[in-house]
Amino acid sequence: MYAIAIHGGAGPVPRAMLSELREQRFRAGLEAALDAGCALLARGGSSLDAVSAAVRILEDDPSFNAGHGAALTRDGAAELDAAIMDGRQLRAGAVASVRHVRNPIELARRVMEKSRHVLLVGAGAEEFALEESFALVPNQYFRTAERQEQLECEQRGERVSDLVPAAHGTVGAVALDGDGNLAAATSTGGMTNKRPGRVGDSPIIGAGTYAKNGVCAVSATGHGEYFIRAVAAYHVCAAVEYRALSLQQAVHEMLHGILAGLGGDGGLIAIGADGQIVMDFSTEGMFRGARDSGGRREIAIY
Amino acid sequence: MSRPKLLALLCLTVVCAPALAVEPRPLAIAIHGGAGVIDPAKMTPERAASYRAGLAAALDAGYAILERGGSSVEAVTAAVRTLEDDPQFNAGRGAVLDHEGDAELDAAIMDGHGPRAGAVAGVRHVKNPVELARLVMEKSPHVLLVAEGAEEFALEQGMVLVPRDYFRTEARIRELEEARREAGQVKATAPGAGGTVGAVALDGAGHLAAATSTGGITNKHRGRVGDSPIIGAGTYADDGWCAVSGTGQGEFFIRQVVAFDICSLMQYRHLTLAQAVRELIHEKLRRSGGEGGVIAVDRSGNIAMDFNSVGMFRGARDSAGKRVIAMYRDAQ
Repeated sequence: MYAIAIHGGAGPVPRAMLSELREQRFRAGLEAALDAGCALLARGGSSLDAVSAAVRILEDDPSFNAGHGAALTRDGAAELDAAIMDGRQLRAGAVASVRHVRNPIELARRVMEKSRHVLLVGAGAEEFALEESFALVPNQYFRTAERQEQLECEQRGERVSDLVPAAHGTVGAVALDGDGNLAAATSTGGMTNKRPGRVGDSPIIGAGTYAKNGVCAVSATGHGEYFIRAVAAYHVCAAVEYRALSLQQAVHEMLHGILAGLGGDGGLIAIGADGQIVMDFSTEGMFRGARDSGGRREIAIY
Repeated sequence: MSRPKLLALLCLTVVCAPALAVEPRPLAIAIHGGAGVIDPAKMTPERAASYRAGLAAALDAGYAILERGGSSVEAVTAAVRTLEDDPQFNAGRGAVLDHEGDAELDAAIMDGHGPRAGAVAGVRHVKNPVELARLVMEKSPHVLLVAEGAEEFALEQGMVLVPRDYFRTEARIRELEEARREAGQVKATAPGAGGTVGAVALDGAGHLAAATSTGGITNKHRGRVGDSPIIGAGTYADDGWCAVSGTGQGEFFIRQVVAFDICSLMQYRHLTLAQAVRELIHEKLRRSGGEGGVIAVDRSGNIAMDFNSVGMFRGARDSAGKRVIAMYRDAQ
């Protein structure tokens, strides 16, 4: 038994504004990420490798708000956050506010595997990247014309930014492998026009990313500050482990009870120890997809 | 006393009696100044007295605010600020130094009413990081700001930045040199070198708050962030359950989401505060190989201070008359 679910951000996705061509691009991107993650799982790879591969593909795809094509700060730069967690030993790695790392998810994984730390931020994280022989890229690599336009619209006070979905978005993946190991990974450029140095929930273990074998793996997307205050990802795990709620109930309560009560919206993807997949959101849409060894195949936006 | 006045007083007494009969709401505060290797052999009576005085000053500063009707947020801010200003403790002035010889500071505060939270990480020129964390909570839509972006926000808020040398004390410079000599090995040579400072409080309005501030670990990699500024890991408060501040090996606290998990165990497993703290510190954290401690207070004013390390600098005071300052396992 193996299973994987991914998301490419949640937010207001007005159907009328999402052209067919654009929708096809998003669907193709999600499909490619699922293909990569699933292929690994199918040949006995680990859930950790599967979520890394899926998130890396979404980072490389300029349609999504992570890596190449990430949302820009108010200074016009890309500032990236990412986290990964291995449910087997509760190992985790995360980076925040990096500006020159092509695939932040790979650096997060390196933090988990090659350092004694969990979270590295800013220039110190990039120093670690160099020590680990990562080739840094200029910030220009991340900036696309589309994001530039989105930033300018936002700065003029127009709400056209919804044209490119996931202005608050993020990408993420959760997986269960054949050995029963769970893993979660999340990567993001954060909010368009954000203040430099602002860090959302994605790289915060427990908030945007969490995985614990025997319980569940969770990746979040949405208005990060609310997810941090609610300790959203770990809270879902706690509700499953301590209250014996079903994964679906736990995710539903988090999104439509706790987060809605705080005034925050967004989405969660989660996978249980039995391979059950839950993808839920309180926004208009969430780019998402799922596959499992039982033949489930799904890509959806609304 | 004239008859009408006496009557009026009697009426007032009758009207007010039920209110007066109600017990005043409990007040409570607990603080810590780090957990870890506190070698009793190196702890001279002079040093011990000095640490105790530092803890007492912070404890009483926070409690005085609660006593005069101030909020738990104000109380934990005042207590932590006092510890940040005291060079003996690993936060603010006298924080441990990173590999490059700088103090890189992290802090967080959480108001259990809301709940609201603010945090900063990797700042190098902010005298009192806990005050910047509070400004993030109160004056920005964000929760966490890091590095230069956090300092930019500090300037926008009218804070005066200080040079790096403000934080660097002789003792910490020597400690760093020692750590470097030992092939980069991080060693807690002085009390609280793996430590942190923090405070939790319950105010008269029934609101809980937690705050934590730290310089992290000696000789740390630039950019390394521990559990202190991570909401849910080293700092958490929820009016319905408890307020928690942690100290110890931060990476373990992050992975176990320690502060939030204590509240979860109270909420979902119906454990008492002391039981929940014990479960995290002596079971979950110990099993994973993590060392450290927490201070916590619940909505009824119960205080728990527990650790699995040799010692933890700590203090507690409440409206029932408790006042304790301690370092080792036995409250001395």
